[in-house]
Amino acid sequence: MTSPIPFDLIVIGSGPAGQKAAIQGAKAGKQVALIEQTREVGGACVYQGTIPSKTLRESALQMVRFLQATEVFEFRMRDDVKITNLMTRLDRVVRAHGKFMKDQLTRNGIDCFHGRAGFVSDHEVRIQKIDGTAALVTAPIIIVATGSRPRVPDNIPIDHEHILDSDSILSLVYLPKSLTVLGGGVIASEYASIFALLGVYVTMVDTADRPLKFLDQELTDEFCEAFEKTGGHYRGGQKIATVQWDGCSKVTTVLESGETLESEKVLVALGRVSNLEHLHLQATGIQPTTRGLIPVNHHCQTTVPHIYAVGDVIGPPSLASCSMEQGRRAVCHALGLNPGVAPEHIPMGIYTIPEMSSVGLSEQEATAKYGGATVGRARFHEIARGQISGMTHGLLKMIADPKGEQLLGIHIVGEGATELIHIGQMGLLHNMPIDRFIDNIFNFPTLAETYRVAALDIAKQRQH
Amino acid sequence: MAHSTPTPLAQEERETLRSFIADQLERGNLDLPLLPVVANRVLLLSNDPNADASQLSSLIQQDQALAGQILRIANSPAYASRTPIVSLQQAITWLGLTMLAGLAFSVSVQNGVFHTTGYEPEVRNLWRHALATGLFGKEIARRIRHNVENAFLCGLLHTIGKPAILHLLSQSPGNSVEPFSWITVESLFEEFHGMAGSKLAAVWQLPDPVQETIRYYQDDQYHQAISPTKGAMITCLAHHLASVMLENSTHDENSLLTLPVVQDLNFYPEDMTALLELGETVKASVECFLP
Repeated sequence: MTSPIPFDLIVIGSGPAGQKAAIQGAKAGKQVALIEQTREVGGACVYQGTIPSKTLRESALQMVRFLQATEVFEFRMRDDVKITNLMTRLDRVVRAHGKFMKDQLTRNGIDCFHGRAGFVSDHEVRIQKIDGTAALVTAPIIIVATGSRPRVPDNIPIDHEHILDSDSILSLVYLPKSLTVLGGGVIASEYASIFALLGVYVTMVDTADRPLKFLDQELTDEFCEAFEKTGGHYRGGQKIATVQWDGCSKVTTVLESGETLESEKVLVALGRVSNLEHLHLQATGIQPTTRGLIPVNHHCQTTVPHIYAVGDVIGPPSLASCSMEQGRRAVCHALGLNPGVAPEHIPMGIYTIPEMSSVGLSEQEATAKYGGATVGRARFHEIARGQISGMTHGLLKMIADPKGEQLLGIHIVGEGATELIHIGQMGLLHNMPIDRFIDNIFNFPTLAETYRVAALDIAKQRQH
Repeated sequence: MAHSTPTPLAQEERETLRSFIADQLERGNLDLPLLPVVANRVLLLSNDPNADASQLSSLIQQDQALAGQILRIANSPAYASRTPIVSLQQAITWLGLTMLAGLAFSVSVQNGVFHTTGYEPEVRNLWRHALATGLFGKEIARRIRHNVENAFLCGLLHTIGKPAILHLLSQSPGNSVEPFSWITVESLFEEFHGMAGSKLAAVWQLPDPVQETIRYYQDDQYHQAISPTKGAMITCLAHHLASVMLENSTHDENSLLTLPVVQDLNFYPEDMTALLELGETVKASVECFLP
């Protein structure tokens, strides 16, 4: 190995966090090295996470919309619609997005290295290349953005054949008749609702009494109702004892209650773990937490001040949008640049069917903070746009202070929720009073109109 | 892998044989009879009321010919569901073992056994290689958290053109006198097995990734495959690993590391070491099935 190649900034990992960190560094005129262990840039977000699952979801929705439209427009879909067709579309989207990201890095003059990064010291990083050779790079600032991967529980023999994780489920070549989904978090709920919509008999199993417990209960109740309508089942309050392939045709999941569930496939979605194993963090003096995360301060700075960690490797909220901002802000902080006002309100988007999105305080949080809350509701099926689009499920819930004057939070379930939330987010950012949503004129018919209806609901309560 | 009584062919005879095979391929006269051991086991299991379902499942998953035939029949109008059957596991689950036992029995009875007089050891090696490729394919797929079922099927069927060629040779006029030398057979494999496999796969309407793998599994071709299931790429490496394990490869373990497919699959030296360490397990699985 020759002498280290000097850079101004080293970024390890090219997912959303690393990519934005590298671009921010390059835009500040710095010489940036970006190290990625896979051939393609983009990380799990592009290849196993956000982009593929959302593309699959969109394909499933489009297919079902076509199926529903056949009755109205009197045409027929091919009987042999294959899941591989959905996956082929997915592959195209992923490739296109990967190429776009690669071009963006090239345009910004970033030096991309393909290899596994491991610290040699707190300023030096060894790149083990795929052919077995190695290179050494050095920089005064280093950003760790190595992401995460699906957690493999000790008691569940994931074989990626019958018992899958959220990576291997994306390469299915046929739809199973039945699927047991272990977990009740974001990934579990997203895949469970997608496969239920595709006609698979889906059973979700989790310890919590409802899925996505961190969300407003009205949202998850609405989600559960829609999920059950498509043939899905949620089994809450359950612990998993064993999961076993019978060697022939089914996987048996035994619950601690003694009950057994049989299905053709099982999806294990019980959390993710940070990718630290090749980093040799000990060479820097950074000590991971007991949960295997890199501890950081609010600037994403580790205990070694010139080393930052961003994205999934530091734990929740593990949102691509948030990771990107962490990457950008970390580099700004390291270079002494003004990153702008820290985002107070980060929206959360969950791509279940129907979508859910949330920003600001929940009803419970508002009550705890202000001693009460006024809640306005607007249901999609009561709005002209919802009726036109045949939306039977959908709710916008607006949270205001006890007087019903100040906007504190927005929670939406229903198609388009992840887009619609941004109106509420802007309202929160600008401390918008509830009445502003009443004064405003929204296009008609739109789902945005739900903001006005919910605000009117709050205003009505104010009068009593 | 020399035949015990090699019979080198004169150039003219070889040309006659080439023409015969080319002509038969052109006409689409292809078949893939079962290996004797498989056919016998299927017949035994199908008639045994106490047979373990997983035994039949395992049997179906371990023979090129039976696997291919089952997929062909399962996708025929008589059996096809709305969804195409693209995996053996899917066939087993969707059709049910009772129906599969019937299909396997029917295939065994109709096709009889493979007449490989004079080629038994070589045919056995072909079969072992196909199964080992399928099993390595599974392990590669697991490592990249990709579709294991598809990787296995692609590996198992990637050289179905070879037994198809052998079957043609067994029907050729020259075969009645004395078997051809294995060197001759191998040279004919080299020339025709891809084409024969592709034709057979197309006629049998095997799953698209399998058809693509049969066409493109070789080092200089896998990049032409467009299937998102990576069957061709995984099978290319699995094929090499099987060859090294069965000691009929020009590569050794070290030179495997430099193969472009290893890099295209993003396998680091330690990943390859881990795969090679599975060799004994794969070998044991292959040998376990041999009588």
